Amino acid sequence: MMRAPVFRLATTLPLLTILLVLALMWPSAAPAADWDRDVLRVGVLEEPKSLNPWLAGDSWSSHVQALLYQPLYLREPAELKPAPWLAAEPPVFDPQALTYTVRLRPARWSDGSPLTAADVVFTAELIQALKVPRFASLFAALKQVEALDQQTVRFKLSRPDASFAARALGAPVLSQAQWRPVLEQCRLTQRPLASLLQYKLEDPLSNGPFVLAEWRKGVYLYLKRNPHFFGQGLTIAGRKLGPEISGVVFKVYGTSDAAVLALRKGTIDYYWNNVQPGYLRDLTRDPAVRLVQSQKSALYFLGFNLRRLPTGEAAFRRAVALLIDKQFVIKRVLQGAGEVMSSLLPAGNRFYHLNTVPDYDQPLTRRQRIDQAVEILAGAGFSWDQRPAWEGDHLRPGRGLRDPEGNPLRELSILTPPADYDPQRAMVGVMAQEWLGQVGIPAFARPMAFGAMLEQVKSRREFDMFVLGYGNLPLDPGWLGAFFLGANDRPRGWNMSGYHSPEFDSLANQAGRAMDPQERQPLVQEMQRILMKDTPFLPLYNPTLTEALREDRFSGWVEMVGGVGNLWTFCELTPRAGRARP
Amino acid sequence: MTRYVINRLVQIVVILFMILTILFVLFRLAPGDPVARMVDPNMTPEDAARLIAQLGLDLPIWRQYLTYLGNCLTGNFGHSFHYGLPVLEIIGQRLPNTILLFSTGVLLSAVAGIAWGKLAAWNKGKATDLWLTVASLITHTLFLPWLALLLIWVFGYKLDWFPINGMISDEVWLDPDSGVLLKAWDVAYHMILPLGTLFIMHFGAYLLVMRSSMLETLKEDYIITARAKGLTEKAIRNHHAAPNAWLPVVTSVGLSLAFSINGGALTETVFSWPGIGRELVFAVSQNDYPLAQASFLLVASVVLISNLVVDVLYAYLDPRIRY
Repeated sequence: MMRAPVFRLATTLPLLTILLVLALMWPSAAPAADWDRDVLRVGVLEEPKSLNPWLAGDSWSSHVQALLYQPLYLREPAELKPAPWLAAEPPVFDPQALTYTVRLRPARWSDGSPLTAADVVFTAELIQALKVPRFASLFAALKQVEALDQQTVRFKLSRPDASFAARALGAPVLSQAQWRPVLEQCRLTQRPLASLLQYKLEDPLSNGPFVLAEWRKGVYLYLKRNPHFFGQGLTIAGRKLGPEISGVVFKVYGTSDAAVLALRKGTIDYYWNNVQPGYLRDLTRDPAVRLVQSQKSALYFLGFNLRRLPTGEAAFRRAVALLIDKQFVIKRVLQGAGEVMSSLLPAGNRFYHLNTVPDYDQPLTRRQRIDQAVEILAGAGFSWDQRPAWEGDHLRPGRGLRDPEGNPLRELSILTPPADYDPQRAMVGVMAQEWLGQVGIPAFARPMAFGAMLEQVKSRREFDMFVLGYGNLPLDPGWLGAFFLGANDRPRGWNMSGYHSPEFDSLANQAGRAMDPQERQPLVQEMQRILMKDTPFLPLYNPTLTEALREDRFSGWVEMVGGVGNLWTFCELTPRAGRARP
Repeated sequence: MTRYVINRLVQIVVILFMILTILFVLFRLAPGDPVARMVDPNMTPEDAARLIAQLGLDLPIWRQYLTYLGNCLTGNFGHSFHYGLPVLEIIGQRLPNTILLFSTGVLLSAVAGIAWGKLAAWNKGKATDLWLTVASLITHTLFLPWLALLLIWVFGYKLDWFPINGMISDEVWLDPDSGVLLKAWDVAYHMILPLGTLFIMHFGAYLLVMRSSMLETLKEDYIITARAKGLTEKAIRNHHAAPNAWLPVVTSVGLSLAFSINGGALTETVFSWPGIGRELVFAVSQNDYPLAQASFLLVASVVLISNLVVDVLYAYLDPRIRY
């Protein structure tokens, strides 16, 4: 029999493939064009969901929207105080009339039309009329807004609202010419708000440093310099503004691995995300890459359900607080990239932060923590079938913990997001389970999908403890009151713990009405002190933000709380002369 | 045949209706709050309730269901909660990218798998067979993200031969001097690493199926008859054995092509390929009901129709099969 020759297809296929690959590599060898020499390339993990400013509140959309839609006031990087941005000067507050008067700078939209007080009025009225979810609460105290002339706006409040200046005047101003026809069209529909949120914005008018040039969905989004940007050449808060770069390309990377490699390769100049500790060693060795560490306005905490026992018992919460070793969490779970939080307000919020360390956050040995927790539990009437005891250096864990009525404690859940969503919080849940188990508290970590966890905690309110975090809290402390006011203890309400304290409510209400920051500061600090004592939330840590960027093509990165990805950076970055993309 | 096709089409309509219903119920039963991430920390429960009402999620489930059915029948699959766009528009943007990558991947893998499967079967027990079979088993059981990242590391980063990820490069597509040809090259260039990954992962499956089917065919009497007639080995292999061994491979390729519209969330994520797979995962994880339901319905429809096409194709490939 004749021996079978190797099939032609089978042999030629690899050859053809190799030839094809070589041919395809040819275009990459073509010299890079010059058009993009001053274009900054930013790597992001997800593309913006929408540029419709009424809809998208996710951080990826916010990154881009912040470059298009500008507020009246913007926090400056050094002191984090609101600096006049679209406004020409600080707002003038009239305590008798409860009005803020704001004078605008001369500014234009990206189509060249002037930005006037009518745009500011329209934006506030639209938010109020349709109760736009992203902004409605900011304008809740607004009674009336009017344009006194082309450049002056007056906001009249129905009640004192300490957060109004910081939050509502920090909301973006949108174009009346673009949005009024949309609003009128939406009003004709059965669901005007839904129609507004679902409006497809093709060509957003920008009053920021950049304007949308092209968006290839899922691949990149290109913003080019807005020639009508009001800030070009101005000095605001002591900083000279550009932008000097000709554009920004946001490139979508599905994984951090790909984004970090792209940064090292020079495909992108900045990776706008926290760099996980696993990448740091390689990045540190790369001379082209600079790592920047920044404080975050973040809060990661263990929350208790005060509506049920034993977590409703203050002594029990204090015992848990003692058993959780935050230093250990920082060292082992965060690998040093974070700081212990004792107060609920992050330390970056220097003006309102209460710099007091409670006894449970003092440096204690494991043995001291366990002994003190056992004493507190025993003092509150808890008992054990087998009390925890030390046999030399070895702990004999407690067993059969009983509540003050003598009933055995049921299993307690610690809800956490799953490890694929946030490995750090999932790990904290597991560690808490182990630490609580040492004194006989039958707690078990229960990772669940993030959405399901929120529903369980906020809507159903069926939980004992949960580990949650906010990565980008507003610097205004108004949210602190919202989180713990007794009136907010209702399904979907922000008082997730079910905390009720007349003393706290009174302080929170006073702080909410204190229009003078100097008057508000001690009230907010006293609120923190009460929460530290009652511990409805046990603050755990504030992770350090580590970002990676290249300095070979651009200089002028501005560091501030929240990282270098801020509007000041995009307005100040300057291309380095003669440095082409690698 | 016509009657058979009509019967199958009626069955498909009934199954699709069932799928519509199951999808609706499943997503409502799944835990999670679709508006949880659309609110800011100061938003009141009243504002949240208003948003829920505006999205129609406050209506009784049966009314939501009837609205959903009515809308589906008129081709209105609603708007994505998170993108705010019609879901058909989102699917329309992503689907061609997925089809381009995954269908090309299936076809390349199938061509190589069939060719090498024939080769392995024809050389049964020899070194060629051993190497091809072992290679198939190894590559088919690799962990896809690991393989993808390895290829990216070696060919994208270390050797710098290919782009690390994405479907196109902004340097080319934003350049006003780039022509259509260069842009087409750019897409093809970006496809090499993901295609390589899909090829390595999947050619083994077709190879093994083809090999197994071919070995069965080679035992048939007509092969012995062909040899007795003095036909060449090449003619026996290519014209008598291989065509009869194709049936199971055709099924496999047909279904793979159908499922290719589902994309592969892992492949698309690792290579940042802007396809439907990533969107599907996102929609499910974010409780974006309209987007998730429409995506799954599309996948189900294409798979059902592909099944029908494969069945009809059988009749043409094998004259013994009659419906």
